[in-house]
Amino acid sequence: MTAMQWFFSFLKKYRIRLITALFLVTIVSGLATVNPYVSGLIVDNVIKGGERKLLPLLVAIVCGTTLLRSVLKYIYLYLFETSSQRMLYSMRDCVYRRLLEQDFNFYNKNRTGDLMSRETGDMDAIRHFVAYVIYAIYENSLLFILAVIMIFTVDVKLALCMIAVLPLTVLTTAKQLKAIKPTFHNIRQHFSSLNTFVQENVSGNRVVKAFAKEDFEIEKFQKENDGYRDAELAATNMWKKYVPIFELLANLSTVILYLVGGIMVVNGTISLGKLVTVSGYRWMLNNPLRMAGWLANDYQRFITSVEKIYSTINVEPGIKDPAHPYKKHKLKGDIEFLHVDYSADDDVILHDINFKVKAGQTVGIIGATGSGKSTLMNLLCRFYDVTRGEIKIDGIDLRQYDLYNLRDNIGMAMQDVFLFSDTIEGNIAYGKPAATLEEVKTAAYIANADDFIKELPDGYDTIVGERGMGLSGGQKQRISLARALLKDPSIVILDDTTSAVDMETESHIQNALKNIGHKRTVFLIAHRISSIKDADLILVVGDGQILESGTHEELLKKNGYYSTVFHHQYGEFDQIQKDRQKGGLRYGTK
Amino acid sequence: MARNKYDIDETLQSEFNIKHLKRLGSYIRPHRKDMILTICLMLVSSALGMLTPRILMTIIDDYIPSKNIRSIVLISLGLLLIYLTNFVILRIKITTTATLGQSIIHEIRTDIFTHLQELPFSYYDDRPHGKIQVRVVNYVNSLSDLLSNGIVNTITDLCSLFFIVGFMLSINVKLTFVCLIGIPLLMLLIFVIKRKQRVAWQILSNKSSNLNAYIAESINGIRVTQSFVREQENIKIFNHLSGSYSSAWMRAVCYNFMLWPAIDNISTWTTCAVYVLGIDWLSGNKFGVTTGALIALSGYISQFWAPINTLASFYNSLLTAMSYLERIFETIDEPVLVKDRPGAVAMPPIKGDVQFKDVCFSYEDGIPVLNHVSFHTKPGETFAIVGPTGAGKSTIISLISRFYNLNSGEILIDGIDINSVTIKSLRKQMGVMLQDSFIFSGTIMDNIRYGNRTASKEDVIQAAKTVCAHDFIMNLENGYDTEVNERGSRLSAGERQLISFARALLADPKILILDEATSSIDTETEILLQKGLAKLLAGRTSFIIAHRLSTIKNADCILYVDNGEIKEMGTHTTLMQTPGYYHSLYMSQYDFLS
Repeated sequence: MTAMQWFFSFLKKYRIRLITALFLVTIVSGLATVNPYVSGLIVDNVIKGGERKLLPLLVAIVCGTTLLRSVLKYIYLYLFETSSQRMLYSMRDCVYRRLLEQDFNFYNKNRTGDLMSRETGDMDAIRHFVAYVIYAIYENSLLFILAVIMIFTVDVKLALCMIAVLPLTVLTTAKQLKAIKPTFHNIRQHFSSLNTFVQENVSGNRVVKAFAKEDFEIEKFQKENDGYRDAELAATNMWKKYVPIFELLANLSTVILYLVGGIMVVNGTISLGKLVTVSGYRWMLNNPLRMAGWLANDYQRFITSVEKIYSTINVEPGIKDPAHPYKKHKLKGDIEFLHVDYSADDDVILHDINFKVKAGQTVGIIGATGSGKSTLMNLLCRFYDVTRGEIKIDGIDLRQYDLYNLRDNIGMAMQDVFLFSDTIEGNIAYGKPAATLEEVKTAAYIANADDFIKELPDGYDTIVGERGMGLSGGQKQRISLARALLKDPSIVILDDTTSAVDMETESHIQNALKNIGHKRTVFLIAHRISSIKDADLILVVGDGQILESGTHEELLKKNGYYSTVFHHQYGEFDQIQKDRQKGGLRYGTK
Repeated sequence: MARNKYDIDETLQSEFNIKHLKRLGSYIRPHRKDMILTICLMLVSSALGMLTPRILMTIIDDYIPSKNIRSIVLISLGLLLIYLTNFVILRIKITTTATLGQSIIHEIRTDIFTHLQELPFSYYDDRPHGKIQVRVVNYVNSLSDLLSNGIVNTITDLCSLFFIVGFMLSINVKLTFVCLIGIPLLMLLIFVIKRKQRVAWQILSNKSSNLNAYIAESINGIRVTQSFVREQENIKIFNHLSGSYSSAWMRAVCYNFMLWPAIDNISTWTTCAVYVLGIDWLSGNKFGVTTGALIALSGYISQFWAPINTLASFYNSLLTAMSYLERIFETIDEPVLVKDRPGAVAMPPIKGDVQFKDVCFSYEDGIPVLNHVSFHTKPGETFAIVGPTGAGKSTIISLISRFYNLNSGEILIDGIDINSVTIKSLRKQMGVMLQDSFIFSGTIMDNIRYGNRTASKEDVIQAAKTVCAHDFIMNLENGYDTEVNERGSRLSAGERQLISFARALLADPKILILDEATSSIDTETEILLQKGLAKLLAGRTSFIIAHRLSTIKNADCILYVDNGEIKEMGTHTTLMQTPGYYHSLYMSQYDFLS
């Protein structure tokens, strides 16, 4: 499918509406010939011929036609506008759905501002085309043809002389279409780029301020701002060359009319009234010739945007449902990784990962920064597909599940907490919008967030800023944890979710996780030994491989990475134990 | 403070504010020379264009009856000359109007962006980012049509109206007045629909802002959406927003559509009136009406209504633009709460003596966040701040950079009140690493260099080595030149923290602030990192917030903060000697072992 075919697939649904509208345009254009004709009659028969009795009738015709014309025009404008709005509505919906389907790789490669431009600025170019350009092209062609016919009926020679400029107009249009295309492409590019820059500046405002880099940002902004302006001006420069030519060609037909027509009247070939009539059709002939340049502009602007949108959505998502997806309401949570490899762009990120977890068990994952811990979890949610080996849940390959069904059974709290600018309740209930306030509160309670939320001025109705701005790191993490738990999933993934939470709070959370609700398979990625010590299985990940695995006790005995980390974090433990045994200091938690 | 979200409309200013127009005028003023020149040219052009009916009249009234073909040829050549002049003028006009429009847009955009840079965190925290962005990009763009062609055309059209009326008067005074009767009728109509039309466009600007905000969030939060299988729900919300945008659009344009038919009808009626009365007067030989005059006048009537048509469409686009302009000016007028005092001086090179004197602070009135916080660091000391989440730790350190104004008390650096120095000179000497490690799209090199643009490649690599980021960066496909984007691409959270750490370090700060800077970094890397940092930190005052106590144990002083107050202060050793908050916090990490 080409970009234009894609566009027409949307337009098609409104064809009856559009054809009706175009039909009305035809009538209105036809009616447009009435007034000049009647004016000619008034001049010839009433003013010169002295048939005064005709005047009331002719005036009534003129007024009546105008009234009818404006009513019909209002209707067709409305029809065009509603078609374009309805079409755009489904187009935006289509693009939006596509964006939601895209995998992480797509988002790694596309900038937010660019994607936003597809849904906003580019859509507007399409709106303009459907609501205005289509009928403008049709109306102008129609007027032109009608004018030509009318002039032909008046006098063939005069008509031929007047339309002599037409081939030149056609030629210029073709040339302009070709010349202007790259400049519009350039404008769209700069628009996207400006949009992206501003978007990042707004999102990164804290960093900008922390580094006092406002001047640098303004300097960079100036470049974007200049770039956009220059792109617009470059386009202007281009159509400056063409638009006046159209104007001149249109006016040339007037010169021809006066010169040839005047001589013809003198020679008695046509009557004076006919010259006046033709003069009345002049605008019908000239306007289309004049508009050709502008319409070619609009058309090219529209084509550029359709192509931009289409190229964005024409990327097939890498992760898709299988042909016969397997559905199961509630997964048990048995998980097995079998010789799993994952590489991206030729980089091996995970290699030969093998492990097995029974439903209800807890797996702790620890390892160096960038060792592949999060990727491991992303594979489990099928955000990426394994490049070799397989992952089985309840004995069935992950890729055979219905994608939504699979993800619905997994509750994930991610490393980067992303909160939406919504109420806290809305954020926690994100995965289950129909949840009652009670359910939300329970989830918040397990995540140890209930207390601080209650203390906020509007409690659960407090609107948090985008990305949870205004909340502390630990508060955000707990909201994101509550969000993951509310779904009551069979598999829970906590990707470094308690790093910004103090240890007391963390132990509350862990206890609550264990004791509330049914059995869940839990994956805990953490850097603090305290977070994962009680796990049924601890995986130590390094360089994309599992270096060590076992329980806390087993791993300590191995004297490997895990026990080193343990001693770094709790080196003094032995000393403290001794102190305690001496019966000296014994303090419980606060 | 009411926060805004994607489905809440921003408040409307109900009355049309003439000040906004004046203000727009101030943007136009610097370009007035170009503008006047263009308008003059355009006037010449339209005056010449108006000769056309006169020429027709001459041909019909004089040359045809006298069968003067030579004159017809000559006058046609004259007409051609007029059109050639117009050709040249049009070329100039297109360039100057576009330059004018784009320059003004450029300036307005610069102003709104520059002002945004000065606005406090709270401004950004209080509304979806998409709503801020839409003002800088889309709203400003929507002024383009008004500013480039609109103003010049309007002034030209107004002038040509006077010309035409002049011509018409020269032909026949009475008939001209008949023609002018239409104007009050039109004004009445405009007056009647104006208010509704304005509100409709304001609503539209709100709906577009809402939609934009939602799109932005949907893209940025895509990972959460997918992992929570929220797609269907989001599509519903999106379609709801998209639908209300569409209907707001329809409501607004339907008002605009009314103008054109109105003008068309009014102009037809007046033309007919001219015919009826003209013919009556012609037959009665009254008021000097001639056949030629009547025909010429009917030609001018159509020319008289054409500029009124463009004026009406200008009026429409002015109303549209005003709804955007109001939002733009509203942003530019947003007060800057944290700003340089008059007479503020540059902060001299900081030695690192930081003193909090009885500092009280609240984000929102009546909800105190910090109560009477006092402490004092000596240059080169490391201060650690611990305490439960939400205790006020991040607030304390954000006050050092003067991100907010204090309610009472003062903060002194090297004995100088931070309110008395310029914000820029103060923040330039601070290296702040925030909880959120924001990565800009660009190369890794650019990201690290962000805090110090003059740094050489070697400096960048050195900083990356110090924070143990060098190895993983070299493992990326293009090393330091690897492109990353805002969402960090394939970088893990820990890797992003290391990059923003390197960024903070490269800025060569006199005071280093680490707000949970290492929370996503594994212990082994952190130990290496601390060794590397030890040398670097020598002589710099640093503030560290961390939850892993192993990170902060060696600090010169540890503050235990809870409920916005300092509960305990001292070194690890001294704090551990007495049972208290820190002691129990420290011991609690071992509870799980026993």
